Amino acid sequence: MKLVEATAVPPAGILHSIRKYINILRASLIERMTYRADFMLGTVLRFLPMLTTILLWQAIYMSAPGEEIAHYRVNDMIAYLLLVHISRMFSSMPGLAAGIARDIRDGNLKKYLLQPIDMLSYLVSYRMAHKAAYVTTSFLPYAFLFFLCRGFFADLTISWTQAAAYVASLLMAFVVGFFFEACIGMIGFWFLEVTSLLYVVNTVNFFLSGHMFPLDLLPAFWAAFFKSLPFQYMAYFPATVLLGKIQGEDLARELLLELVWGIGFVVMARIIYRVGLKRYSAYGG
Amino acid sequence: MPIIEATGLSKTYRVFQKTEGFLGAMRGLLRRKYKEVRAVAGVNFAIEPGEMVAFLGPNGAGKTTTLKMLSGLIFPSSGTAQVLGFTPWDRDDAFRRSFALIMGQKNQLWWDLPAADSFHLHREIYSIPSDQFDITLGELTEMFQVKELTRQPVRELSLGERMKMELIAALLHRPKLLLLDEPTIGLDIVAQVTIQKCLKDYNANRGVTMLLTSHYMRDVEALCKRLLIITHGKVIYDGAISGIIEQFGRTKLVKLQFAGETTPAGLERFGEIVQEEGPAADLKVDRTRVAEVLGAILDRYTVIDMSVQDPPLDQMIARVFEEGRKLHEAG
Amino acid sequence: MPSSRYFRLLFAFARYGLLRELAFRTNFLVKVSVEILWLSILIIFYKTIFSKTTVVAGWTEAQYLFFVGCYFTLEGFIEAFFLENCSAFSDLIRSGDLDFILLKPIDEQFLVSLRNIEWSSVPTVIMGASIMSIGLWQMHLTFDFVQVALFLAMFVCGLIIAYSFLLLLTAAAVWMVRNQSLYELWWLFTSLVRYPKEIFLKSWASPIGFVFTFVIPILLVVNVPAGVMAKRILDRATLAFTVLTAAILLYGSRRFFQFALKRYRSASS
Repeated sequence: MKLVEATAVPPAGILHSIRKYINILRASLIERMTYRADFMLGTVLRFLPMLTTILLWQAIYMSAPGEEIAHYRVNDMIAYLLLVHISRMFSSMPGLAAGIARDIRDGNLKKYLLQPIDMLSYLVSYRMAHKAAYVTTSFLPYAFLFFLCRGFFADLTISWTQAAAYVASLLMAFVVGFFFEACIGMIGFWFLEVTSLLYVVNTVNFFLSGHMFPLDLLPAFWAAFFKSLPFQYMAYFPATVLLGKIQGEDLARELLLELVWGIGFVVMARIIYRVGLKRYSAYGG
Repeated sequence: MPIIEATGLSKTYRVFQKTEGFLGAMRGLLRRKYKEVRAVAGVNFAIEPGEMVAFLGPNGAGKTTTLKMLSGLIFPSSGTAQVLGFTPWDRDDAFRRSFALIMGQKNQLWWDLPAADSFHLHREIYSIPSDQFDITLGELTEMFQVKELTRQPVRELSLGERMKMELIAALLHRPKLLLLDEPTIGLDIVAQVTIQKCLKDYNANRGVTMLLTSHYMRDVEALCKRLLIITHGKVIYDGAISGIIEQFGRTKLVKLQFAGETTPAGLERFGEIVQEEGPAADLKVDRTRVAEVLGAILDRYTVIDMSVQDPPLDQMIARVFEEGRKLHEAG
Repeated sequence: MPSSRYFRLLFAFARYGLLRELAFRTNFLVKVSVEILWLSILIIFYKTIFSKTTVVAGWTEAQYLFFVGCYFTLEGFIEAFFLENCSAFSDLIRSGDLDFILLKPIDEQFLVSLRNIEWSSVPTVIMGASIMSIGLWQMHLTFDFVQVALFLAMFVCGLIIAYSFLLLLTAAAVWMVRNQSLYELWWLFTSLVRYPKEIFLKSWASPIGFVFTFVIPILLVVNVPAGVMAKRILDRATLAFTVLTAAILLYGSRRFFQFALKRYRSASS
């Protein structure tokens, strides 16, 4: 009886999917609100380091020769550092790689062998719902923060194409971030200690993604090199798009490149998944 | 002079209520509802040095809470207790040195290192002089038969072996009082028996007072002469195990073997037929009527063999728990 | 003598910590590698900034390097001795294993704070000290015994202040329904510790700077010792204030911790 239920095909249809996502959203929202002190405090506290970052950069610009550092004025720089938070909101996947590695190690992958559920598709939809919930619940505090910091964005003019490009870059940042971390997690098919690797990758990524400071600040060779890596899409690229640092043809080309990288990671993830699953079932899990 | 004396010991604590649904969660952000739970509702007892006493009760009865109060881990809501001449919740250094608490399925030892390293740490913590330490450790590893295992990381040991190491660690500083919370839970039968035997020997030879909580009758029967039954935070029985039989054993089991192929008809008149197979039958008979029933049966039928037994102890205990629950619900 | 017992215990904890690290060698190497990477990133950041300017918030390049080294060394001490233990405190509460600590005839704060010594952070301390030395050498300072002694004293005070705040956060876990990661809260704390306090001199930030210097004196932790050594700020008021703050916070955090334990013992079942 149980086996029949397990292999039954779930009803298809957009309405069902929408209802499913609404339920996941609702459950996530309730879950977030149940932890009272945590919810109210957490979002506010997360912004405290921004305070010292802003002050540091203002101090740096005060004693620096000239108004610009690497073509960033002080307000641009601070606006950039605020915007990378938004980029990271879309591209960071806490617990994804560790979860995959753990599922592999604990043998939970069996359900993907027996049932017509694709692990990557399942995880992507789960993450999307989770991100949607997170963006929704964090909207008010973030809006408040950006309202406080609106002064830094005063000189900014944003065209409609820029805004559209920004949204596109954020959505693709999600894709890049997700499938990159999924690949790392799937290294668990071959090696046990993925968490150590993850630790190293996250530390390096903090710098490589431009989360710490804009990659343009580095010497020309290094800046160009790091900008050719996909990590920049996780923080640096969307922020610079909105700031208008990339325009016209260059913008179109960079967006296309981001798309290529995104697709590349999706393909890589699918290949690793297929190969890894074959190996996994061969070894009996 | 009792080694443990509890008077009117009570513990009530608050449990926060989670409300259902979205609106409930929103309301929960601002104010929370709670209800009060009376874990222990006024227990009184006295335990003499050298005794081995069992606290028996269903889950949630208050056994562990009482034990924790006697160890000084929890403040009582009301009541007093004297343990080894101290008020436990003052947690005097001298008090903490003179007893030990073991909790079943909980591990105090360093997980990744051999038990021997944890023992050495214990020596430092309790300031045990090294010659005394060596002698005691030797005796204990001998008694529990784990001499070769002390050099293995604790995580590699079986559940039973780990429990033995826990007990050794607890006894290293030669406590006068040993408190055990569900010590044999989750252990296989061989480990259970070994531990029971070692505890019994230790109590007999060293006069260490032991107080253990359990919901296994086996522990109680093997180890303790005295039993305290706790349900819903109250002690409803305090005395010898034999007393339980007298007080709560309302029926006796009469086992009969009849001549012939089958049991005779009409046995139900005499008592509840528990089992019937071929010429044998087991009858549950009211204690007061046993003699009368036996007389009547022997009169009417030819009986090859018979015996009168007490029903299993855990059945009686289950009934005691049931009585306790009825009392509690009555108010 | 009771205090020698605590030293012997500390030595035992250090020994067991080392045994544990050696049992998981690859993990140890990974942790050390990450620390090296993190220091490298901090140095890259520092070098990048100073390629564009010569002074930041009144600190020259060599002075700022000393500041970074001082911060990193302090971080190393906290990670080596206290951070892991304190973050484990909320697990102890939830699993009930805190009871075992309460049963021992040893001061609970000592056990909670120092049970596991993290040897993987010892290289951090060494690297931080090396950076400080490089900074000093670049400043061409002459050895002044008083200055060094005062620096060491202020460093210890900074360590005490940082530990006291860590203990306050740790003890608060008794009231938290959810396990708010101590690492997250500590990361926030270090964001205030990591930069020279002169960045708060700007008009809108100076009240905040005042609060974090005199009310919640986090800014003293690295600034005062680094100021003593790198900029020769030796005024008595600052030094005395730092010592006083360290003493008060040490006492106050201990009292709060004991209060938290009382609360745990009243509320648990």
